[in-house]
Formats: sequence, C-alpha cells, structure tokens
Amino acid sequence: MTSITPERSLRERFPRLLPHGERLDVGELERLRSRTRCFAEDHVRPRALEIDRRTGEDPSWFDWDLVRAGGEQGMLGLLIPEPAGGAGGLATQAAIVMEELCAACPGIALIFGAHALGVAPLLLGGPSQWDGVLAELVQSERTAKPLLMACAITEPEAGTDVEDPDLLRRARITSHARRVPGGFRLSGTKRFISNGSVARWITLLMPTDPRHPAETWTCFLLDTRSEGFAVARVEHKMGQRACPAAELTFDEVFVPDERVVSREGDGAAATTIVLACSRPPVGAIATGVARGAYERVLGWLEEDRAAKGLLERQHVQLALASMEEEIHLARQLYMDAATELDHTALGGVTSNPAVRAIAHVPAGVRRRAPMHGWLASDRARDATIALLHRTTSERAVTRSLALSSMAKAHGGDVAMLVTGAALELVGLRAGPVRAELEKLWRDAKLTQIYEGTNQLNRLEVYRGLCRSETISCLPPLHPIRRKTEGGRS
Amino acid sequence: MTGTTIAERIEIQAMASELAHRELAPRAAALDAGGQDVLTECWRLLAELGLDRVLLDERQGGAGLGVADLLATIEELAVGDGGIAMCVLLCNAALATLADEHLADVPAGARWALVPAASGTEVTLSNGQLDGGVACALGAYGADGLVILLDGPEPAAWAVGAGAAGLTLERDRPQMGLRAAPAASVELAGVSCAPARDGSGGSATAVNVASAPALLRAGTAAIARGISRRAYETALEYAHARKQGGVTIIEHDAVSDMLSAMAVRLALRPEIASDPAGLAIDEVQALAAKIATTDAAVASTTDAVQVFGGTGYMVETGIEKLMRDAKYCQLFPEPNWVAHDELMRPERTSRVAPLTRTIAGNGEVRAPRGRVL
Ligand SMILES: Cc1cc2nc3c(=O)[nH]c(=O)nc-3n(C[C@H](O)[C@H](O)[C@H](O)COP(=O)(O)OP(=O)(O)OC[C@H]3O[C@@H](n4cnc5c(N)ncnc54)[C@H](O)[C@@H]3O)c2cc1C
Repeated sequence: MTSITPERSLRERFPRLLPHGERLDVGELERLRSRTRCFAEDHVRPRALEIDRRTGEDPSWFDWDLVRAGGEQGMLGLLIPEPAGGAGGLATQAAIVMEELCAACPGIALIFGAHALGVAPLLLGGPSQWDGVLAELVQSERTAKPLLMACAITEPEAGTDVEDPDLLRRARITSHARRVPGGFRLSGTKRFISNGSVARWITLLMPTDPRHPAETWTCFLLDTRSEGFAVARVEHKMGQRACPAAELTFDEVFVPDERVVSREGDGAAATTIVLACSRPPVGAIATGVARGAYERVLGWLEEDRAAKGLLERQHVQLALASMEEEIHLARQLYMDAATELDHTALGGVTSNPAVRAIAHVPAGVRRRAPMHGWLASDRARDATIALLHRTTSERAVTRSLALSSMAKAHGGDVAMLVTGAALELVGLRAGPVRAELEKLWRDAKLTQIYEGTNQLNRLEVYRGLCRSETISCLPPLHPIRRKTEGGRS
Repeated sequence: MTGTTIAERIEIQAMASELAHRELAPRAAALDAGGQDVLTECWRLLAELGLDRVLLDERQGGAGLGVADLLATIEELAVGDGGIAMCVLLCNAALATLADEHLADVPAGARWALVPAASGTEVTLSNGQLDGGVACALGAYGADGLVILLDGPEPAAWAVGAGAAGLTLERDRPQMGLRAAPAASVELAGVSCAPARDGSGGSATAVNVASAPALLRAGTAAIARGISRRAYETALEYAHARKQGGVTIIEHDAVSDMLSAMAVRLALRPEIASDPAGLAIDEVQALAAKIATTDAAVASTTDAVQVFGGTGYMVETGIEKLMRDAKYCQLFPEPNWVAHDELMRPERTSRVAPLTRTIAGNGEVRAPRGRVL
C-alpha cells in the first residue's frame, strides 16, 4: 500500500531523539513503529469496516479478539513501567503507536488509547502502584482474557469544566465520593466513557466535597465488579465505534482507602498532568486519521480505473500536496509536544536515581511486607509528590500542556480537513474506497471534541504560550487534609 | 402559466415548513436508520400535498408552480429532513423531463428519481437500449421509475420503469448521508428505454432535459440551506441552554463566534432563478450557488456538532446526521471541485464575468481588468 512515511527515519526527522537515549532510543522507536504498522495492516485495517457496521447496529458489540491480538503485541502494557512488567513507554511511544493504528482504524486504536488513558493516573502514583493493578494488567495481556482500563472524568453537567483546574472550581459536579470508615462511597454518573462498558478497572475522578470540587477532586481506582456500579447505556456514536462510549452510574460504590490514587484532593493536578501526557497521542490519533485518508485516496488515484487521468490534474496534485503538508506539520507538532513532555517536563522523574533504585529491587522483595508497607504508606505518596516538585516545575508542565494542546487541536483540524478533501476528491461514485473514507471522516470529527474540545485546547495554548501563565498543576507538597464526612485524620 | 404571487409563494413555503416541523423532523432519525416503511409514509404525505409534481401543470396532476417555488419548498422540507427533500427534488426533476405520454402512465404518488450519469464512461446508449452502471444513485433504490440523464454536449434523458428487464438496483449499504433518499448501485444490461421529453416541453415549467442538471444543482443548494438552517437553529437553542464555566455557553466567544459564522453564511442567500417570475434557472448561478451553499452547510453543520460538544457526536441527538447530510450535498450531483470545473467551461466563463462587474464612480459598469464581458 502507498505510504507517506518510510522515506525518512525518525532520527532524521526528529533530531531531538538520541541514538541510544535512555528512555527514547530512536532505534527502539523505529522497531515499535514498524511492528505496529504490521499489526495495523494485518489485524486492524481488514476488520475496520465490518466492526464499524456491526457496532453501528449494536453499539455494545465488542471485538475481544482484537484486544487479544493487541495484547500479544504488547499494546496493553505499553505505558506500564518496566518493573511492573510493561514496556515503560512514554508519550512518544504512545503517540507513534496511535498514528500507526489510526491510519488503519481510529476506533480500534481508541480501545488501546482509552486503556492508556486509564493507566496514566496510576503512573503518577509512582512505585506504590507497580505491584497492584498495573502488574495484573500486564499479566493478563497475553491471556485469553486481557484486562482493559478506562478513565472517567466527564459528567453530564460538566465536560469542558472538568478538563481545566480553574473551570473545575465553578463546575456543576453532581458526583460525590463520601468518606466512610475504611474508604469512600461513590455516587453519581459519568458520561461518554471510552471502554467504560468493557473495562475491568477504571480510574475515576470525583470530589470528596462537591461544594469544593477543585480542592477535593480525587482519583480512585475502581473495580467494575463492585456492587453499585452499572453501565447505564452504551452510546450510538457517529464514528470511532469500535470503542464503546458508556454512561456509568455509581450507587454508593465502596472504594477502600488503598485504592485512592495518589492522595485525596490531588485529582485536579493529576488530571492536568494526565492531559499533558495524553494530548500528544490524541494529536497522533488525528494525524493517523488524516494519513489513513491520504493513503487511501492516493492508492485509489494510482490504481483505480475510475480515477484514470485524475493524477494529471493540477487540482488533484495541489490537493494531495496540501494533505501531505498538513499531515507533516501535524506530526511535527505532536512529536514536539511528546518529546518536550518526556524529555523536559517529566524527564527528571523517570530518570530519577531513587526511582531507578526501587525499580532494580526484585519484584518479590518489593511485594513483601516491609517494603510493600512503606510503598503503600502516606509517606511514600508524599515522597512521590516531593520528587515531582524536585524534578519539574509548574511552569514546565504548563508549557508542556500548552504544546500538547496545540498538537491536539491542530491535529483535529487537519484530520477533518484531509478526510473531507479526500472524500471530495473521490466523490460518490468511487466504490469501496468511498466507504473507508466516509468512515474516516466520521471518525475524524471526534478528534476535535474529546480530550477537551479544540476551543478549550486553544485557550490552554493562549495561557501557556501566549501569556506564559503558570497553572497550578503539581499536587501540593503538604496536602491540606480536609475534614470530610466520616473524618479521616 | 403565470408566475406565482408573493403571497402564494409564502403560503406554499409555510405549508412545507409546517410539514417539515410536524411530520418530517420527528421521523428524521427513523428515516436516517433506513426504514422503508417510514419513507413510504412520508412520501404519501408529500404526494397528498402535490409536492411530488410541483412543476407539472394542473392538466398533468401537478401544482403548476415555477422553479423558485420548488426550490423554496425543498429548502423548507430540508429543515425537517435533507434526504426527503432530495427525494422531492429527484422526483420533480424526473417527472419534469418526462414526455406527456409517459406522464399519463405515472400514477399519482409514484416516486421517480432522476439519475445523472456520465455518458460513455458510466452508461452507453445504442439502439434504444441502455448498458452500464451508476454507483450510488441517490433516491434510486425503491423508486417506481428512473430517468437516466446522460451528460455530454447534447444531454439526453431516458425513462426506465422500475421493473424493466435488465435493470438491477442494489442498495448502496455504506450510504452515509441523505439516507432518506436511498441510494442504489444501478446496473443496466440492455435495458429498453423511452426518450424523455426534449426541448422546452409544453408544461408549466421551463425545465427541460438541458436544464435538468442545473435544477439538480439549484435543488441541492436549497437542501443544503435547509440543513444549515436546522443546524443553526438547533445549535443556537442548545447554546442558550447548556451551561459550562458558570454561564450559558453562548456567552463564551468560542461558541458565539461559531454561531455568528453560521448566521453570516445563512444571510448570504444566492439568487438562482434567471427571471423575475422564478420560472427558469440560471445554470451559472445554480453552479455557483451549489458550491457556495454546500460548502457553507458542511462548515455550519460541523460547527453545530462542535457547539454540542460530545453530545453532538451521539446519533440520538440528530446533529451529526446534519453533518453527514451536508457532506453528501457537497458531493452531489458532482463533487464541488468538479462543479468548479463546470463553472470554468469556456462557454460559461463569459457568463461568469458579469457577476464580477463593478460599478465605477460615474455609474458606469466595468469588468475587472483582464476579464471579458
Ligand atoms: C466519543 C467520546 C468519547 C469520550 N471518552 C471520554 C473518556 O474516555 N473519558 C472521559 O472522561 N471523557 C470522555 N469524553 C468526554 C469529552 O472529553 C467531552 O465530550 C469534552 O471534554 C467536551 O465536553 P462536553 O461534551 O460536555 O461539551 P461542553 O463542555 O458542554 O461544550 C459544549 C461547547 O461549549 C464550548 N465551551 C464549553 N466551555 C467553554 C469555555 N469555558 N470556553 C469556551 N468554550 C467553551 C465547547 O468548546 C463546546 O463547543 C468522550 C467524549 C466523546 C464524544
């Protein structure tokens, strides 16, 4: 199949990537890209239209075979740290994988993308999270029953408002995590949650005091087998249908203290960092959608009898050149944002000697009482936060978030532009390629909406780059321990 | 035939508008889901009001109205559902090209569709028989009859009954937009056909085979406007109701700018009729209107989904459907880049130029430099 990327290596295109970089070895990235491309061509693209059709008829239909196939390729453990058994990937790896998968089918890619979004908050918990659910996810990866994750932030009354810490202050939050002895009871509704109906674990954000959502926004790790949890509905979506978006209800669901990710009240900061990490891959999703459309239209123009002579038309040549140009720029943006995050904003955390020392402790020792007890303690959580403060700054994260938002918003627009132009080039008479392009065009629209609408993302660019503002996005060193109902000291 | 009075035209529009809001809009989701029964039901309502044969004169069971009336009606119907409006356009265009003797055989309430086809590459005619195929012919599936409109220097139209030997219609499954005008891939294997009317015809309308493509373009422009209106009205209402950041979202410039752009696009209404009575279409204007209006509809419906945020992406809200319908308008009867080509055909460019005339200070009409008037 026609492809626009093989000519120049990643190293040539992104000189910031080091030949044997500690976390971003460019050779490894090249291998990851070609492995993913093969997987996408062999498993994803051939199923894309059929899955779209089936989920169009029944939105709750889900292709577990694909998840298993992805699991065998390490797609589920990509971001999970090596000590927990995963590949230890960062935003850059996630982005590269997303572009490749999305060029084949954005909906299927979203299954793995939403899983990664669910994993991301756990990574902020540091070594204390390695031996729990993260290890379990990796162990399940190559089994007949792989475990998926989801991340639930959006509520019916608060979508944009929960994507930004300042807006969260004024948000109409209807969910509530009520303190009870030994943990919390969660009530409320979360909406549009990708993988929500198929996930085994969900990272979930709710306030412990709805009157002060920003200050008490807290991340919980929820077992979807818990009593009181229900999937209220699976949405019938315009596109990216392979990945179900669900409305989830919580009726006094109990979550024990040890499943509070990081600390109570740190959720707003965690969300900001998670979005800084997840938006470059969303930019890559959009770039992949655009590339998929471009490759298909080019293939049609080169090979289909009905398109004979069209490549000689300047109109067509100019349209193709613009597509190539836009895709190129979108890729530069997401790679810049991802490497900025991995190298600069969070690079110090991942390469910190203390973290690496713990990583070298054999898992068996880490999981035994003394060390396990310390890792699960409040002191260990505080130490993880302290490490964040030592190795990065709120300004660095804000800047990184702005670059990530730019990549996401620009990519979304490029996805719409290129898929729309490709569809216009082939028209209604084009045969099978039309169905593929129509699907990609429907898929593309979502990239302007999720992970914060493009409007919100551009406002983040304004704050972080045009005004050089600094968002308060690191959890406080010394948390204000609020006295909530049922009181924990 | 005399032109319709303004009062009559307003009355027709009001009737179509009421039908769109009361009957079509509530059924739009079912029509989009591809329900044949609901299409039959809607078609019956439309036929009862004579909207299937607006252009034919009363002698032929028609309403005897002009093109401008048909376009105004179609726009109103498209506010309810773009696909149904497309069925009305295709049926009126098909019947307007039929000769009187054929029309006599078309029963009241029959749904016909005009199918534009590329002569030679898609469909060939020899010895009164049609061969070839047309992919994604809008409105053709389930139609009672087709008029195959062959393009070329001398356009010709050929009538084929739905049951004709050698004609196969297969439902176009992927059809993404205007789904109430069910598309078919049309296969013709030695299909005997009858020539549809040529010349200006003796009916109430100036539509003939030669001007049928212009009617399709002008009608598609009208549908696109109807879709844009619905997108704007629905998004505006939502923007006044949905709150984020402690205020209704219309109070955010990011949202009001999108709505304002939609309003601006709607304010620019292209003139399509070539005569004051609105009986005939100016083909250059029709091309320009189709390009501008369908591009505007794609932009406005995409923004409407954006105003709705995630809710707009869900099928049940009915907003994303507008986006799909608008996209199909951009691709029918030809993609807009091909329509641009049509506009620049040498025989037309001299007629585009007058559109660009400017009035100089002394009142003299001048063309921009380098243009031939
Ligand atoms: C298919 C799908 C999958 C999703 N997956 C997930 C998921 O896995 N997990 C999750 O938590 N969420 C998920 N979401 C939710 C998604 O992140 C939200 O839809 C998005 O943040 C927008 O929120 P909203 O839909 O409530 O729109 P709203 O916030 O209601 O926005 C409506 C409009 O108002 C504008 N607007 C709102 N506030 C402002 C402001 N302050 N300034 C300027 N303009 C503003 C928006 O830009 C938009 O145009 C998903 C959504 C979809 C559609």
